[in-house]
Amino acid sequence: MTPKASWLDSFVDGLPTRGWFQFLSRHVVVPYWVWRDPKPKLPGGPRPSPQPGENLQRMMNLVMPLKDPSPMGRAKAALIVAQNVDEIFAGLDNVGTVHNARFLLLGNNLCMLSVYDGDFSNYIRDFIATIGSVFDAIMDQVEGGEEVSPTEQKIERFIDWVQAHDLFQVPDFPSDLFALQDQAMRRTGKAHGLRSLPREYILQLHANPDVSLGGGYRAYPGVSAAQIRKNHGMGW
Amino acid sequence: MDMAKLNDDEIGNVQGNILRGYTLPAVRHMILRISDSAAARAFLAASVTGGNPNVPQITTEQRIGAKLPKLVTAFNLGFTYQGLVALGLAPGDLASFPTEFIEGMTRRAAKLSDFGDSDPSNWPSPYDQPDHVHVIATAYASDDTTLDSIQKQVEQAFDLRGIHKGYSLPNGAVYFGYKDGLSQPRFLGFHDGAPSRQDPTRTEEPDDPLGTILLGKPTRLPDLKFGTPQPKQLGNLGTFNAFRVLKQDCFGFEDFLTSTAERLRQQGVDTRLVGVESVGLTYPDLKDKPDLALREVIAAQLCGRWREGTPMQLQETLRKATTAGPSNQFDYGDGALCPVGAHIRRNNPRGGEVVQRIANFTRRLVRRGMSYGDTLDLANPDDKERGLLGNFIGASLGAQFEAVMCDWLNLGLHSPEITGSNDPLLGANTPETSWFDLNLWKDDDQVAMEKHRIYGLPRFVTTRGGAYTFLPSLSGIQYLSGLTG
Repeated sequence: MTPKASWLDSFVDGLPTRGWFQFLSRHVVVPYWVWRDPKPKLPGGPRPSPQPGENLQRMMNLVMPLKDPSPMGRAKAALIVAQNVDEIFAGLDNVGTVHNARFLLLGNNLCMLSVYDGDFSNYIRDFIATIGSVFDAIMDQVEGGEEVSPTEQKIERFIDWVQAHDLFQVPDFPSDLFALQDQAMRRTGKAHGLRSLPREYILQLHANPDVSLGGGYRAYPGVSAAQIRKNHGMGW
Repeated sequence: MDMAKLNDDEIGNVQGNILRGYTLPAVRHMILRISDSAAARAFLAASVTGGNPNVPQITTEQRIGAKLPKLVTAFNLGFTYQGLVALGLAPGDLASFPTEFIEGMTRRAAKLSDFGDSDPSNWPSPYDQPDHVHVIATAYASDDTTLDSIQKQVEQAFDLRGIHKGYSLPNGAVYFGYKDGLSQPRFLGFHDGAPSRQDPTRTEEPDDPLGTILLGKPTRLPDLKFGTPQPKQLGNLGTFNAFRVLKQDCFGFEDFLTSTAERLRQQGVDTRLVGVESVGLTYPDLKDKPDLALREVIAAQLCGRWREGTPMQLQETLRKATTAGPSNQFDYGDGALCPVGAHIRRNNPRGGEVVQRIANFTRRLVRRGMSYGDTLDLANPDDKERGLLGNFIGASLGAQFEAVMCDWLNLGLHSPEITGSNDPLLGANTPETSWFDLNLWKDDDQVAMEKHRIYGLPRFVTTRGGAYTFLPSLSGIQYLSGLTG
């Protein structure tokens, strides 16, 4: 049974709705906690699960900042994707573990969103082994892209780069954030009060402003792209 | 210089036990911490040059192949990331190593399905403090006395955190009774003394490019290059090793065979359809013992080989067991007799169809292992720990060891028929959800096969420790010995 909150707890719980406190939080409290207890930017992408089915139909939300975000630069990025559509289809087919993928121009970024099966590193490696040249052309348009291109020659660095630009997926069970942050900070055995969870989220969102809220919602239990193709007689 | 081959200088530079294994019957793995980096570096320098009676000399590939007196001892070194830090490797060079090596085995636990009893938080000393595991020194010999003396030499320079004693079991078997180590990669551009595999009439898998196992050499995917750690003297011709201490539930495995055989009979499965009647003809010990024969059929299907080594794939039919021996002359085509989820097929699908179409032969690993623990007497069950000390060696831990562990061994992603299941022998199974499909003939005509799903496989193999190590060339070890700070 949850104990009844004391008057102090009630007072503290009500603070976020008060204007003076919102001002104080934004300009004093949050900067203070960022200074006192900074959190690492947690890595992007889905996390491996002990349940095999949870390792299927996983989401990638790759956000790549454009070197030239002007309309001309954006058009150039769009053109590169359009010129390589056949290669991208062939790549998806050969990798064999992708359900779907799409590119977006969003803000100053070129985004690649995809749903794939299995381990993230294997997905990226197989994709590059299949159509690395397409990604080399894309990386030419992206900030920091030259450091990981040609992608086939710098495959480990490229995988790390993609993971760094893949959005962190906020855990479906909110309190899992404690363990994820502790793991990233190599802290073990630390006890956390549940009341500190909102603060942990604010500090993580300070370090990591763009996130995916959860790992995506499946309309049906996880099945692989190959299982769907097989069951529909499309060959896998 | 032809990068696809190894010249004599390179052969003398590669540590032994990588391109081919030793035949010595006893091993000792020494888990070491560097508390005095100067003493450790002096040891490394002496181990490369040899001639110091107090320091064992590193065994090279050249020494195995040379026409010298037979090797009576062998000695090799692997370094963890923390070990390289302790030796004083520069931060820029440390950062040139791949992320999985930098993070280490314990932080990759989720990818390796090391959870539950296998979770690193349950690993005993010295693996309960992974940051203190710096070097794994491995010595091979024929007897414990020789290994004891090598251990004493090593202890002079390092803080000994723990040891593992391993032995070859009779007939090259492991505790589950299977003959092990039968299918190892062989390498293009390196002659290991065995007959060539390039004969087009042979169906054996092709030789692997040297980049499968040595950094700086071409890989199976010619445009894909694994990063070589810097500086080149350190990284070139080195490789990575996933060292694993794997506890085997020997009695649990035998009990599972017995209970599954009983269940099949209770379910009314016609055992002729899995070929039980033929087992006694080819395996005389099992003649007129249909219950034991059925257990062996199940064991063969779980592994993909009969316990004495014959691959199921070489049987003419499921109804006809064979004693062809531990051959590797087979591939998995349409209508393959070997179950798709069987251990050897799942971990190395050879030229058979896989979902990841470019992945055939790209995830090959060298496996070098020996068993640990007391002699097993199946008639007298006990609680003693037994298992395998495994080295899984490849140029990329991520693209080879981890790729096999997470997508193939524990997810079955490479075939839609097994996706969602774990490897029956090594996988992170839980009885509540695990399953495996046996192959049966559909009827007496033996034309078409069908599957019979069995459930309730427990986890037979538990991880008890391990570490990712880098196995540098001799030049690389020499470089480490010259570090300062």
